[in-house]
Amino acid sequence: MRHTIRLMSIALLLLTWPLAAGAQQRPSQQPAPEQVPEARPAAGEGAAATTPETTGSIDIGGRFTNVDGDAARYERFRDLRSGSWSRLTFDKKNESYLFGAKAQNIGYRDQMFSADYEGGKGWLTGSFVSTPLNYSYISTTPWIEQSSGHLTLDLAARQLVQAGTVVGIPQNAAQLNTPSIYRGLAAPFTLQHLRQTGAASGVYEFNRDTSFAGGFSSTKREGHQPWGASFAFNVANEVPLGIDSRTNDANAALEWTKTRGMFRVGWNGSWYNNHINALTWDNAFRATSADPFDPNGYSNGNGSSIGRMSVPPDNLLNSFNAMAMYKLQPRTVLNGSVAFTRMSQNDPLIPWTINPVLQTSAIYAAFPGLANLPRATAEAKVDGLNAVLNFSTRPTQFWGITARYRYNNHDNKTLPFNGVEYVRFDAVPEETGGISEQFDIVENLADVNVHFNVLPYSTLRVGYGFDSFDRTGRSFSNMTDNTARVSLDTVGNQHVTIRALYEFTRRVGSGFSEDAIEEGGSQPGLRFYDEANRDRHRGTLMFIVNPLDVMDVTFSLATGSDSYGGPGHEFGLLDNDNQAYNAGVNVYPSDNVNLGFNYGREHFKSNQKSRNANPPPDPQFTDPNRDWLLDNIENVNNVNLFADFPKLARKTTARVTYDYSDSDNAFNFSGPRILSLAAAGQFLPLPNYTNSWHRLGTDVQYFFVPRVGVGVDYWFERMNVRDFNTLNLPGTETPRTDYLGEISTGYGSRPYTGNTAFVRLIYLF
Amino acid sequence: MANRFTVRVGLASAVAVMVLAAGSSAEAQKLKPFAGHAGLQAQAQSAQQTPPAGNANVYVGEATCLTCHDNHYAGTAHGLKSNPRTPAAQMGCESCHGPGKAHVDGEGDVTKIRNFLTMKPQEASQYCVSCHDRGTHALWTGSQHDQRNVGCITCHSVHAPKGDHQLKAASEMQMCATCHQNIVNKQHRFQHMPVREGQLTCSSCHNVHGSQNLRLLKVGTTIDEACASCHAEKRGPYLWEHAPVANACTTCHDPHGSNNDRMLVAKQPFLCQRCHVTSRHPPTVYEGFLLNNSTNANKIFGRSCTVCHQQLHGSNAPSGQFFLR
Repeated sequence: MRHTIRLMSIALLLLTWPLAAGAQQRPSQQPAPEQVPEARPAAGEGAAATTPETTGSIDIGGRFTNVDGDAARYERFRDLRSGSWSRLTFDKKNESYLFGAKAQNIGYRDQMFSADYEGGKGWLTGSFVSTPLNYSYISTTPWIEQSSGHLTLDLAARQLVQAGTVVGIPQNAAQLNTPSIYRGLAAPFTLQHLRQTGAASGVYEFNRDTSFAGGFSSTKREGHQPWGASFAFNVANEVPLGIDSRTNDANAALEWTKTRGMFRVGWNGSWYNNHINALTWDNAFRATSADPFDPNGYSNGNGSSIGRMSVPPDNLLNSFNAMAMYKLQPRTVLNGSVAFTRMSQNDPLIPWTINPVLQTSAIYAAFPGLANLPRATAEAKVDGLNAVLNFSTRPTQFWGITARYRYNNHDNKTLPFNGVEYVRFDAVPEETGGISEQFDIVENLADVNVHFNVLPYSTLRVGYGFDSFDRTGRSFSNMTDNTARVSLDTVGNQHVTIRALYEFTRRVGSGFSEDAIEEGGSQPGLRFYDEANRDRHRGTLMFIVNPLDVMDVTFSLATGSDSYGGPGHEFGLLDNDNQAYNAGVNVYPSDNVNLGFNYGREHFKSNQKSRNANPPPDPQFTDPNRDWLLDNIENVNNVNLFADFPKLARKTTARVTYDYSDSDNAFNFSGPRILSLAAAGQFLPLPNYTNSWHRLGTDVQYFFVPRVGVGVDYWFERMNVRDFNTLNLPGTETPRTDYLGEISTGYGSRPYTGNTAFVRLIYLF
Repeated sequence: MANRFTVRVGLASAVAVMVLAAGSSAEAQKLKPFAGHAGLQAQAQSAQQTPPAGNANVYVGEATCLTCHDNHYAGTAHGLKSNPRTPAAQMGCESCHGPGKAHVDGEGDVTKIRNFLTMKPQEASQYCVSCHDRGTHALWTGSQHDQRNVGCITCHSVHAPKGDHQLKAASEMQMCATCHQNIVNKQHRFQHMPVREGQLTCSSCHNVHGSQNLRLLKVGTTIDEACASCHAEKRGPYLWEHAPVANACTTCHDPHGSNNDRMLVAKQPFLCQRCHVTSRHPPTVYEGFLLNNSTNANKIFGRSCTVCHQQLHGSNAPSGQFFLR
């Protein structure tokens, strides 16, 4: 009987599987995730019988925003200040050309403009996009920006701190009870920056076979960002670094296409220009530099009164590339590309230190390398060569082969820089540095896949991949990935779409150098996870089922695991696992109603091992009782709901969306070192890092006449977050900027509740 | 008794499978090898809508098609008669759907006209790439999506698009979420790129039609080059380089979204401690007691390790070997 049931089940599967033929896969009916009020005339209300040549919309009104909590986080990449709202569109389409133009949120920090033209000999597109990044509206800082890249602190305050008469940067738990003098001096400011990009690109076709493509864009960034600028282990500073840069990009290509193939040559250029050459900032711990210098100044704060660090240098990229494609018969295509790239920068180098105490003949006598720089400019460059060749053939309806080869050479030609003698934290001259190391990478990748159309509209694919990296400056001179994969895709079924993939990759390193590990003072058993031996499993499964014409159900699963191992591997990342499930249903019973729901859950887990020890010859370094492990587990839930009513009532449309995402991130310590710390009363588990985010959007539009209507939108967002990384004054949501060992800006992860309402007048033409 | 029944069911199943397979095979054999660009050129001897001389017995002209069907591609790029490469400038509907005379003579017999909805994705794509075989589409054949039986009309609709670029969904994210829902979900994470705000979209970074770069990234030839096309300040090259940065940005960052600061794959300082197992402060156990009692707390809160090692993407300072300057 069991045998009968088994055979019937197999028969049923074989019978239904071939039914995977017919309608193409239908996208899930999820609403557009981005929230932008759009004009949507009610369905069937006087719609034009034919497509008009000129159409557009004028959508203007008011926006009203109220935020409780972290308003910057609510806005983040948007400008939702109360004020006006605008969205304008214009389209003109006929048999000769297509033209479209859009403008949105005009006059605000996230405004966007675009225009596109296509017709005749080619197309042209232009855009201007402004993207804010709002870090914090409640930041404070005692530093004063005298000029771009130059920050100063109140001298009298620094003198008091240096004298030890006031708390500057809290050094112990007791000092936390006394506000830092810098808390009183800190002025509030808005920590944000703005990225604005203007771009234009187009294609001109000389004739059917030959065309030219070109483009140019210019991106300006200005504002501030949080930046670490410190003087010692116990004198850390987060300051607002000024941003004032521009990146210009240009590209041009000539393309020639015939019946059997195409050939294209092109060039890309990119210039990054930073108008701020260095950062200098005053030390909150010292008004004068320690003289003579303190050999422990990098850890106890007895260092320089002023610091200087480099900022991103001007750089240049040029790439010359060619691409070709050739169609052989039957159903065989060969295509590929080759690119030569050079990246370079030659900015003047800042001196070893800004500390005047360390710029004396006595210092140079002891550290002759600090008397002069080995060279005045960076002289940094990297040459790249990339070549890709793809071969695809389907000789019959039943099988085919795809093969790919990729060669990539990242050749760093920057001249070595002798930094054996250097200055740590502008505080202490040392000779524990080294010669700069430039990392070359040569990759050879070969991949072959064979597919079989074993059943109607089902394709079984098996493949093998070989990926080899030769590297310099790493602990393994080579690592090789061998990958085996199998996938099954059943598509085109009116009722069922199934996609499944399993992939296994084994990475093995060769040419291991323990010296490379130990030169950096690392434990000999450490392996860096981006090059360590590893077994990787990846699997995905997706079903889309359409049991009824008005409904589809989707289920997907993605799972993966990485296990790191190999001879002698004891420390570092040991393994990580992840699973993601999604289940959704969309129902569209009539033209008047569309409903959708999706739930997703993700689980991430990683395990790493370390040893808390002093360096040799201290026996701690080899003592396994000093080992500790961290098991990091994160669980994430996602919910998406939408209800769309194209005809809620006469002349009325409505839409409701709800999105939810949360995270629970746990840090579980274990191992003998943890036990000993706990026994000494010196271990407290870190609380889970948690957040939850709700977003509700509603949109109701009423059209008095087919062309004129009003719209009312309401957005609600709530973010709850608890992050041990973010510190507030006790019992408040006010940032604590003076904490143990640091003065910061107060930027962090804080909750908010945001409400934004739109009232709009809509005109369609 | 049970065995005979089992055998009958098994035989019936096998017959059903063979019939279906044979039917499909027969259907497949009816499809002609794709003619490619040459095919369309042969079909369109002139830009006029009338059938070319010598082919009058197989083409009927678009006007005949429109007696039963609406002109769904008017107002799209396919409908531009000013461009000699478009269907509108060639044989109209029959540019893609093939000669229509048999279909008309058969009183609308759907088996006598090229119907993309009933074709296998790769078969359907062959007709699209007969024209769309240049520019950003040149590397389509053999690309990752093509290999997985994702065809042109899996995502695009010539006659009933809902979104830009003739997508079958209102937005790119909605379209990509059909298969990549877990990736799209990451846009809702605490730290994310400005995709859900509408400033970026999937194709801002990816060319789904094929690319010379990894992961279908559309710019550059390595992951770092692609990221640095917008984040040019990270491009370098620097005097002092950080090995994982030279490897790939994705060693430390998840570009689709993360709940960790700066879209890191793990929270600091623990991410850094995966590689920095040395002595003294890097492998120190950073936990709640230190957070409340020691200046080592500055390795846990705020910027964590990068409050000192800010230049971890690379430093151009002579004293920047440890990314402190």
